[in-house]
Amino acid sequence: MTRAIAIGLKIPDNTAYTALVALRRLGVAVEGVERNEVFFFDDDGDVAALVRRVKADETIFNPNKHRLEVLAQAAPRPGELWVEPLERAPNRAAAVAWRLTDARGLPASSQVLEAAADRLLCNPAIDRARV
Amino acid sequence: MSGRIAVLVFPGTNSEDETLRVLRDCGGDAELVHWSSPERLAGYDAYVLSGGFAHEDRIRAGAVAAHDRMMDYVIQGAQRGKLVFGICNGAQIVLEAGLVPGTGAIRKPTAAFTHNAPAPHFVCRHVYMKLAIEPARCAITASLPRDALVPSWAAHGEGRLAATSKHLDEIVTGGHLAFVYAHADGTVDDAAVPNGSALRCAGLVNREGNVLAIMPHAERDAWNFNHLERSDSGDVLAPSGGSIIFRSFVEAVSQL
Repeated sequence: MTRAIAIGLKIPDNTAYTALVALRRLGVAVEGVERNEVFFFDDDGDVAALVRRVKADETIFNPNKHRLEVLAQAAPRPGELWVEPLERAPNRAAAVAWRLTDARGLPASSQVLEAAADRLLCNPAIDRARV
Repeated sequence: MSGRIAVLVFPGTNSEDETLRVLRDCGGDAELVHWSSPERLAGYDAYVLSGGFAHEDRIRAGAVAAHDRMMDYVIQGAQRGKLVFGICNGAQIVLEAGLVPGTGAIRKPTAAFTHNAPAPHFVCRHVYMKLAIEPARCAITASLPRDALVPSWAAHGEGRLAATSKHLDEIVTGGHLAFVYAHADGTVDDAAVPNGSALRCAGLVNREGNVLAIMPHAERDAWNFNHLERSDSGDVLAPSGGSIIFRSFVEAVSQL
């Protein structure tokens, strides 16, 4: 089965902050932005063993700055926009997951996510956006 | 001579000094304009976006810079016929802004200079760009000879032209493919391409011919002291090699 693992920064994420500022300037109603890279693994074994293997691979995970989460599904969660490259390349994330929140701290609506993809986060020449 | 040239400096731009210098050595009236004073750009006749990592390439190379306030002036200027010349990161910005190939709307890119292939790694390699259009098709190349070869350095991790097949067709049929990678003798094949670029593309021009975007750094092979094919005699600081494209650009600015 395909397992999805999200890897993000536990230190301040300057790219996410830049996206927040830029999206606001472009008129997208967003108050918070988090960013994770999503990797897919074909693995039928024990999840804990997979996590141990991923955490041991320094090309994608640095324990000093990264946190890791096993996703229940290989699909965007509420408030998430996945930007996926049209061409998959080895050793690159399958998607960048942007989690956007509104002024109440709630997951952004699909309209806001689509606006964020259209105005900044996705170049349709090379990416597809999934909400 | 008429025509003032602005060399834009975004936070993260790193090739502005050599770009300014080659423009001046080719006779251009060029100055740096920093992101903190974008309104100054209104007073210039032509814009050069040089290499580097504008806004640290966050999100995508060129994506944030394409929405910088400086680009409001560049886009308005381009639409009024001013010349815009993007080099490397500048080319990525111009493309993200939708100015080249210009087959879509402003800030709705229809192509990208993206991760190199087959290995998505940074490359630093001496290359030749071969003019793939009639020189007069683009104001910036108008003074170059037909099939001109411009020696340059490819130095990028994201320089591969990528687009859907529909948009690649538009680039070809619309005459937007300005430069292709070539060997020193002018032959063109995949071995000359350092990054897997579609159409062997090294540069794109818009429909009107006033916006040119090139990925290789012609300014890094632009004086005798850093020109690979220099003779041992002569002034080491004299423009040579890749300076021909800047000379052609300055000539075009002088005719505005």
